Amino acid sequence: MVAAFAVAPVVLVTLLIGLRGVAAMRTTSDFLVASRRISPLVNSAAVSGEYLSAASFLGVAGLVVKDGIGALWYPVGFTAGYIAMLVLVAAPMRRSGALTVPDFAEARLASPALRRLAAVVVLVIGTLYLVPQFRTAGLVLTAVGGTPYWVGVVIAGTAVSATLALGGMRAATYVQAFQFVLKLLLFIVPAIWLVSQVSPEQRSASVHPVEFTHFARDTQLSFEIDVTLTLREPATLLTPEKHVVPPGELVARSGETLVFAEGTPVPAVRGGAPLGGPDWQRPLLDLGDQGYPLLGTWAILIATMLGTMGLPHVLMRFHTSPDGRAARRTAAITVALLGVFYLFPGVYGVFGRVLVPELYVSGATDTVVVALPAQVDDGWAGSLFTGLLTAGAFAAFLATSLGLLLVISGAVAHDLAPGGLRRLRWSVLGAAAVMVLLALPSARLDAGVLVTWGFTVAASTFCPLLVLGIWWNRLTAAGAISGVLAGLVASSGSILVALFVPSLSGLPAILVSQPAPWSVPLAFGVMIVVSWRGRPPAWSTAAMLRLHLDDRTAETPSSWSEHRSSTVRRLGRRLNR
Amino acid sequence: MSRVKRVAVTSPQTRLAHSRRRARGRWRVPRLAASDAERANLLYRAQRRRGLPALAGMFGLVFGLPLVFGLFPGLDSVRLAGIPLSWLMIAVLPYPAMALLSWWQLRRAEKIEDE
Repeated sequence: MVAAFAVAPVVLVTLLIGLRGVAAMRTTSDFLVASRRISPLVNSAAVSGEYLSAASFLGVAGLVVKDGIGALWYPVGFTAGYIAMLVLVAAPMRRSGALTVPDFAEARLASPALRRLAAVVVLVIGTLYLVPQFRTAGLVLTAVGGTPYWVGVVIAGTAVSATLALGGMRAATYVQAFQFVLKLLLFIVPAIWLVSQVSPEQRSASVHPVEFTHFARDTQLSFEIDVTLTLREPATLLTPEKHVVPPGELVARSGETLVFAEGTPVPAVRGGAPLGGPDWQRPLLDLGDQGYPLLGTWAILIATMLGTMGLPHVLMRFHTSPDGRAARRTAAITVALLGVFYLFPGVYGVFGRVLVPELYVSGATDTVVVALPAQVDDGWAGSLFTGLLTAGAFAAFLATSLGLLLVISGAVAHDLAPGGLRRLRWSVLGAAAVMVLLALPSARLDAGVLVTWGFTVAASTFCPLLVLGIWWNRLTAAGAISGVLAGLVASSGSILVALFVPSLSGLPAILVSQPAPWSVPLAFGVMIVVSWRGRPPAWSTAAMLRLHLDDRTAETPSSWSEHRSSTVRRLGRRLNR
Repeated sequence: MSRVKRVAVTSPQTRLAHSRRRARGRWRVPRLAASDAERANLLYRAQRRRGLPALAGMFGLVFGLPLVFGLFPGLDSVRLAGIPLSWLMIAVLPYPAMALLSWWQLRRAEKIEDE
């Protein structure tokens, strides 16, 4: 019931705002980049609204409970990516006049093959990122409202694709900007309410973590995913009747419910720092407890920071700015807006450890945020805030999915099989259907792995392509293609190996499951070496410099008779010296 | 409730052009007028020169902070208003610092183009 009241208004408002975008939609440019009329403030709110996905709204707080305070490095990397975007990409990218990333690649390097490859990479990143959004929509509705998993997935898919097919980017922009404000309020107000409602003892406990060693009360755990627990001491279970389980491994299947008796030692969970223990309190991310906290932290930072720079749906938002200057301002404002939001996941994380530690054992740490209000207040206020947080989480899925679906259909209907507006609209519906079908069997997948995967692929393909394309006039099409291929194969292959060979340990385990520290330099290196061995075409300097020409001069049409290619050649020689 | 089909009022040519399968247009060799090329080159160099310190600042902040935590584990036990100092340094400190850094860089980048 709570779920219905929380989600229905968000979905309705999304559809209504979407309908407003239908007016004046005639061309591909209207559909994909909202006719490039979006002001920096609205655009940065839309960028933030699109970017604050389920991973930010629910995931970070859950990771704090699961992995410790070090998980707060994720949002730092997410935000820092926009500084890199501001310095390196935003303005030149907009000035290229492209509609999508593959468009940009072709405009700069004149290679249809590169365009198709870039479109395929967009599809890979989009799928890796969109499936977890739909999945979490299903899971959250199950957790709060008890609806079957597929209901949430189908609701999310329908709302998003209908809004987008009708209103395109203009609708997506207004929806995302509105949902940013909504998410900010729905995240901050409950956080402040939580801090004011918890007892002084709980508040003090939240900043003085003690290891979670024994269950403080009879605790019922419902498992949504298979979890392997390690019992170091005999444990007393109350299901089906009171019995004692000997030390060893205990596998809890999904759908199973176990009740641990009060005072029973807490079993260890594979792949997480012991909750509240000394490792948990350290502000570093020791991935999988392999003993390299500094390397693990840096690996995450590289992937999130450089990955942000290469996320196609975020890059596409910058194309909706009227000019390069507005695109740059958009990036700068986004850093500030995200900074406000990311002050709060940590609050949910530290209270989650105190108030709902059992989620750590059941593996459902993603639901920490929505589970908290009921622990503090079991009256109407608790239900109200649970409802508000659910609404916010749903807004998060919708806003992110809108952008991703748009970029996927752009890749299909603008880059791979170019067609008009009608084809774009149909491809939105088609892509949404495929994504819903993919999300239906993925309830048990670890969403964190998929999103990290998407970020790593973006960091090792589009990040080098954009940085070198914008700042290095000697990049060749062959270099770009081989670099993008190398980055795609290295990052995806490595993560697949990590998924199917779970027995690695130590340094290799980190480098295989988090390949960004080596796959990004590899992609850069391949691009540079292959470009060096080839010869850039005569116009390559002009193609690069064009991106840096500010809008004032670019707007004034220069007559072709003025054009003298010798100047460009001379400048090219000077740059290469 | 009339049954007349509503049609957008556009020139027949525009309507035709929109309904046609859109060829993206052949790729054209990018050309720059001499004066534009000169200016673009100046802007390119100036932006590169001014962008590097901002990038260095960002990488220094983001990669340096974990190093500080690694080298000085004592920060975990220092408390400010009851909260461990290292928690504040990871959860609060980076955001205003990054907002300031991006504002600073934005102003510098725009100044180049205003000249």
